[in-house]
Amino acid sequence: MLSYIDKIKEISIRLLKECRVEMVIGFRKGTVPMMNEPHFAKSPEDVENFVWDSNCGINLCNYLTNRGEKIGILAKGCDSRNIVTHIIENKIKRDQLVIIGVPCKGMIDKRKISAMFEGEIGEVIENENNITVKGDGFEKTLNKKDVLQQNCAICIHRNPVIHDELVGDLVEEQIDVDRYEDVREIEALAPQEKATHFEKLLEPCIRCYACRNACPLCYCPTCFTDESRPQWVGKGQDPTDVSTFHFLRAYHCAGRCTDCGACERSCPVGINMRVFTKKLEKDCLELFEWEAGLDPDVRPPLDTYRPGDPDEFIK
Amino acid sequence: MGIEPDRLQFSWVSSAEATKFVQVVTEVTRAIKDLGPNKNLVKTMPKVA
Amino acid sequence: MKIVQINKENWTDGLKKLSEIYRLFGPVKEDDFHNFLELEQGQLPDLNCLNTRLSPKSIIYPQSEVMFEYTLDENQKDHHILKEVKKDYSPQAVIGIRPCDARAFALVRLNFDTPEHQDPYWLKAYEATTLVGLACESPCSSCFCTTAGCGPYHEEELDLLLIDSGDQYWAKIITDKGKAFLKAAGWTQTVDEKTALKEIKAKKQAAEDKICSTVNTDKLREIETNELYNAPFWEEVSFSCINCGTCTYVCPTCWCFDIQDENLGSSGCRMRNWDSCMYPLFTAHGSGHNPRDTKLHRVRQRFMHKLKYYVDKYDTGIQCVGCGRCVRLCPVNIDIRRVCELMNSHAAAKD
Repeated sequence: MLSYIDKIKEISIRLLKECRVEMVIGFRKGTVPMMNEPHFAKSPEDVENFVWDSNCGINLCNYLTNRGEKIGILAKGCDSRNIVTHIIENKIKRDQLVIIGVPCKGMIDKRKISAMFEGEIGEVIENENNITVKGDGFEKTLNKKDVLQQNCAICIHRNPVIHDELVGDLVEEQIDVDRYEDVREIEALAPQEKATHFEKLLEPCIRCYACRNACPLCYCPTCFTDESRPQWVGKGQDPTDVSTFHFLRAYHCAGRCTDCGACERSCPVGINMRVFTKKLEKDCLELFEWEAGLDPDVRPPLDTYRPGDPDEFIK
Repeated sequence: MGIEPDRLQFSWVSSAEATKFVQVVTEVTRAIKDLGPNKNLVKTMPKVA
Repeated sequence: MKIVQINKENWTDGLKKLSEIYRLFGPVKEDDFHNFLELEQGQLPDLNCLNTRLSPKSIIYPQSEVMFEYTLDENQKDHHILKEVKKDYSPQAVIGIRPCDARAFALVRLNFDTPEHQDPYWLKAYEATTLVGLACESPCSSCFCTTAGCGPYHEEELDLLLIDSGDQYWAKIITDKGKAFLKAAGWTQTVDEKTALKEIKAKKQAAEDKICSTVNTDKLREIETNELYNAPFWEEVSFSCINCGTCTYVCPTCWCFDIQDENLGSSGCRMRNWDSCMYPLFTAHGSGHNPRDTKLHRVRQRFMHKLKYYVDKYDTGIQCVGCGRCVRLCPVNIDIRRVCELMNSHAAAKD
């Protein structure tokens, strides 16, 4: 993946020079280990700052919502699926976009790697298959495959599903992946056990809304949590209010979530709220054979009725 | 979410199906009475911090 | 007596005695990271922690705090009256607070304790609290305290400063509260202060030398506010921001809150909750108008407040202690050090 950068720059410069786009959205190098910052280039000179490595986990589709200009955007598999969803939901027009596809081998999990070491990580050096983690008094080389974000480790759409340009050869898709092991474990719990499990899961939540705001699907002009007339949910730290926020947000993502992992990645207190969206993703797959964001011409299951609806009561 | 499956029920009742409506309501209330009051996702007064 | 030696073998015993008088708070590791929590009986603060994920500001200024309550139940005394709630302001102590987080209370005080207004909740909790600092021996690479008016051995706002010296801690007494704390623990062993001070000085220098990250703030005050406000870099700075509240909630110096009423049946309460200038709702007017309607406005507000308005208003430096939490936790890596440099050098460019 490291080799993509020359091609990314070449394409971005070409698009900007030919005035096919007004800006290209990509990443620039972060200021702390294992972080890159979403960044835009409006001139060929700005493109110089672009980078690409295994720390580009933020979903760039989030930066497209309601924009009016012509945009070139780097898109991993998951980003491209969210772009499709954006097109379906009229948040951006296809002809505004030049999608620069980035076949992806997965992003590394900063939290998981940090937890493996006692001291602070000073530097992380990456090559094609490995990363070397250095800190005060330690140095260790890890296989990238072992430290991927969980959603990347189980991803089955690594290649962009829609693209105008490609920065490298398509990568091999993972097959025989068990995507829902964790969801099944929770499904097997009794109702009360589930309630306890979720309360424990959400206990550290500080309601910073990073999960919501990092999510390309969460673009409502006013989120239900911010409504005050009526006020759907309390604003304090009451566990019921906190869970209501997370549950409702997940339901709003049903049939739309691509499991890009942006929510979990951005959480400052390490909550895996993906268990909620994944459950709905699993239901959509099992009930409607639906995976979000694969085709801009097919309407999603939650805005269509089909006579073959699996729910008995509605037939 | 910790809500018992029987607590949430969906039915399709036409305005002409009074008997079915009565039947559904009777069944739902019986099921909920069996379950007792809902304990999860019930807000209490905030604790004084 | 300025310095007391605490042998680590007496640590647990002392804490036990203290727990009879104080509610003790300290860094505790939960899952992957540390936070300040109230210590249970016999539980030790984990002083090996680099720093906690969230700042200890919540011990004095909780994220969600009930101020008043009422009942409409006519069988209750004082029904239909909004009454102040009774709270526990018994002595509490924060053990192992870092000097940066302690100094943050001095900054926050400028807001909660002014000649015109004194915030009773913050002040009472603050007065009940003894801050037992732990000098920082291994600052993180994203810490920039020494150029943010602070430092790994900074004593401001602390009642005691603990310095780890192998088999013992040295406790430097800074206030009477600190003195009382040591007495309650039964830690009274004096030391040859001259030698101790010399070693502390050397350790302090060594710790300061480890700080590899800095900010320049010298030009912020002299530059015209409007020059900075209208500077061209805000679009670029704010582009990646997702307008979550992480930076403001993890910040030890952010103090904004919002007041909410909550009703439940025939009773209810009035509470205050942390709020964040990153949220659109923060400035939304009842009319529907929002003076800070775009993320550029909001990001600019946060940095202008911390690095310009505050500097101008109080003349005590920036509203930041350099703890580095926002740098480490921002989901999209917006770095206050970078923004500060842009602002400060923008000022320089205008010279």
